[in-house]
Amino acid sequence: MEPAAISIQNLVKEYQRNGKETLRAVDGISFEVRKGQIFGLLGPNGAGKSTTIKILTTLIQPTSGTAFVNGFDVVKQSIDVRKNICIVIQENAVDTYLTVKSNFLTFGKFHGLTRKETETRSGRVIELFGLKDVLNQRAMDLSGGMKRRVQVAKMFIVDKPIVFLDEATTGMDTFNKRATIAAIKEESKQGRTIVLTTHMLDEAEELCDAIAIINHGKIVASGTTGEVKKMGLEMFYLSLKVKEMTKELEEELKQHQPVKMETKESDIELTIRDHDTALKILSILHSRGLLLNFEMSSASLEDVFVALLDRSVTET
Amino acid sequence: MNQILAVLYRDSLIRLTSLTWFFFDLAVPLLYLLMFGVGFDKAVGMGIMTSGIAVSYNEFFLAGVLAMSCFGSAINQAYGFFHDRETGIFYEFLTYPMTRGQYLLGKVIFQCLMSVVQAVLTLIAAVVLLHVPVRIDFLPFTIVAVVVGIAGWFFALSIFAFRIHRNDTFNTFINVLYFVLMFVSSMFYPLDAVPVWLKYAAYLNPVTWHTDVLRYCTIGIGDPSIVIMESIGFVLFLFAGFYFAVRTLKKAV
Repeated sequence: MEPAAISIQNLVKEYQRNGKETLRAVDGISFEVRKGQIFGLLGPNGAGKSTTIKILTTLIQPTSGTAFVNGFDVVKQSIDVRKNICIVIQENAVDTYLTVKSNFLTFGKFHGLTRKETETRSGRVIELFGLKDVLNQRAMDLSGGMKRRVQVAKMFIVDKPIVFLDEATTGMDTFNKRATIAAIKEESKQGRTIVLTTHMLDEAEELCDAIAIINHGKIVASGTTGEVKKMGLEMFYLSLKVKEMTKELEEELKQHQPVKMETKESDIELTIRDHDTALKILSILHSRGLLLNFEMSSASLEDVFVALLDRSVTET
Repeated sequence: MNQILAVLYRDSLIRLTSLTWFFFDLAVPLLYLLMFGVGFDKAVGMGIMTSGIAVSYNEFFLAGVLAMSCFGSAINQAYGFFHDRETGIFYEFLTYPMTRGQYLLGKVIFQCLMSVVQAVLTLIAAVVLLHVPVRIDFLPFTIVAVVVGIAGWFFALSIFAFRIHRNDTFNTFINVLYFVLMFVSSMFYPLDAVPVWLKYAAYLNPVTWHTDVLRYCTIGIGDPSIVIMESIGFVLFLFAGFYFAVRTLKKAV
């Protein structure tokens, strides 16, 4: 079996807060990412996603546990790890005094490319990310979203086998986001392993082959996107159209403890934890002659995510 | 080596984006020498005694200007980490395929190259405009002293730039440090005439070691045995600075 692109075992990262209290940002997590996979690390703010990425990219060292990137130990072989990765960090990391073109050139230089090689490779990236018009503009004069686009584009100039994207599409407009997602898919097809963190679950659902959901530094669920969705314990999404939406009906539906409920005039959207409850709701509405139309499908990753986080909070 | 060159390449591109910045980088020590030095030279009149020899203030102050510009350039270069941290590029650099030492060496080599040009211009101005009898035979030693000086101060100040995360705190700290180190040293006045406590305090100050070495190299004033000790002291300061700067950089995130 081919070795994993990333392998993490019992990884722990502790921080001293105010010199006394110890905060466990990462609490004994373990997972593997296969080569060529797009792997999503999902979780709310402060869950430990970025800390995990920082350890994997050698920005910080773990308190205990092991992490290997492309077979190299992040602590003992940090330079070898850095030779195999590139990362879009959470901050807008561009050289603001330099033009977009110079940003590409310096990035290429740091990664061992000649000027000619960088120029050749950046041609494709400039096209892909629509940067032709801003190539000679200083990064400081660009909008936040555009700076982010330059930052992400840089990563695709070099041929690193593993790419980390920490909230890469944050602050981008729809066009930029679509371009970035398309580029990520394209690069993955070339065999690159991509690890991304995101709050946007629709994005993760669209992109990721596998995901791990992390909360309070612990893995709440992991597996392929399909497997994690199944962990939603048969959650269902119900879209209903009723004759009349009343306060009483809304209260009655809430008693079934939906994961999510949204109402708009006579339209109701519900995410229900199990099959039986979904059928019970349909049967009640039907028997009262209120139901005009309904659609039932499996819940989205977002619904599963919320349910799993709820469960992890309850268990803690 | 390629990584060090990449740091040099990046810093030179940034510097070239602002010619005003470039100009002032080179011109500040000249202005200091020509304005403050000349003014004081006239005020002091007959000159001052140092190591039992009478010299003009311009001659005496030349080494001070070189030492001061090394310290000032090191502050600017160390301060650059704040800008890089604010833009986020600092953290990205730390994931590039280079060691922390290579990153720091690249930064310091760039600043050393700038400072050597700066020092040569200052020496030319001192000879041509102020008629300071600079020892041309010692020019290579002067250049080495400038390079060692800038590196020593850059590494030392980088430690604080990595540890202090607030811009305003760093500025306040540097202003106080600058004030104390400059005036408790042989930069502006000879230590022969100062109170004993100040003299001893000044001899514990690396600015004094650096200034004395530069003074010996530029105008040949100073006790060679003390200058050699001070040189050794400054080189040790440089290596300690490098060691601790790399260590601190490893924990800078």
